Amino acid sequence: MGKKVLVVDDANFMRTVVKDTLAPNGFEIVGEAVNGAEAVTKYAELKPDLVTMDITMKVKDGLEAAREILAADPNARIVMVTALGQEKMLLDSIALGVRDFVVKPFTKERILSAAEKAIH
Amino acid sequence: MVKINAKHVNPFVEAAMRVVTQITGIEVRRGHLSYKEKAEPSYSVSIIIGIYGFLTGQIVYSLDGNLAKRMVDKMMEGKSPQEKQIMFLDCLGEIANMITGNAASLLNQGREQILNITTPAIASGTNLSVHLVPKPALVLGLITQYGPIEISIAVEEKETLQEVGISMADGLLSET
Repeated sequence: MGKKVLVVDDANFMRTVVKDTLAPNGFEIVGEAVNGAEAVTKYAELKPDLVTMDITMKVKDGLEAAREILAADPNARIVMVTALGQEKMLLDSIALGVRDFVVKPFTKERILSAAEKAIH
Repeated sequence: MVKINAKHVNPFVEAAMRVVTQITGIEVRRGHLSYKEKAEPSYSVSIIIGIYGFLTGQIVYSLDGNLAKRMVDKMMEGKSPQEKQIMFLDCLGEIANMITGNAASLLNQGREQILNITTPAIASGTNLSVHLVPKPALVLGLITQYGPIEISIAVEEKETLQEVGISMADGLLSET
C-alpha cells in the first residue's frame, strides 16, 4: 500500500496534475479538498501521510489550514504548492513547519521529489 | 490620485511567457502596450484576479475562444473531450492564477510584506457579468500563433497601510 496523500487545491486541473503525478509513483490518493476548511476536516478523517496544499483558496487559505493541521498534529507532513513564490510566504511556511514549498508552474519531477522527501 | 506605472508591466510579460510556454507549449511574444480608461476585456473569454498589498486593483486577462480551446487541449493532453469540457474554465483560471502569482512575486521582490491575490473569476461568452473596478488600465498585448492575449493591469500603488485598508474595504472583486 502506498503512502496516503490528501490533495488540496481549488483548481480541479491542478488536483488532477498532482494526482496523475503521484499515483503512478507509489502514492495512494485518499482524498481531495477544494479549500482550507475542507482540508482540515479531511485531514482529521483520513489521517494521510502527506498533504499537498495550495495557498490561495476561498473560505480558508492554505497557510491557515496548514497552521490548524500542524497545531492538531505536529507530525503532519505538508508540502505547499502555490503560484505565490514570495520570500515572506516561503519563510512563513517554513516557520509553520511545512516540509517543502513548490512554486507553480512546476515540473512533475519537482512535485514528486518534494513528496518523496517529505515522507522520509 | 491614481498612480499606474509602466514598471508593473514587465513582470507580467515575463510571467506570462514562462507560464504559458511551460504549461501549454505555446510560444508567446510581446505585443503593443496601450491604455484604457477601464479594464474592459476585448475578447470572449475573460479571467479577473484581484491583487492587494502595496499594489491594489485588478488584473483582467482576455483571449478569444479558439486560443482558449488550444491552450486547454494542450494542458489536458490525453484526457477525454468530456473531461476537457468540464475543466475548460478551471484550466484557464489556473493559467491566470499562475501568471498573476509569478508576476506578484517579481513585483514584490525585496519587500517584507506579502502581495496577495484573489482566486480567479472567469467569464466565457458574450454575457459578461463580472464587476470591474472603475480604474484606468495599462493594456499589455501578447501574441501567439493561435491568437492574442490581452492583459489589462488596473492597479495603483498604495503608500500607506491605511490606504490599503480602504481599498480592501471597498471590495476588490465582486460578481453581479
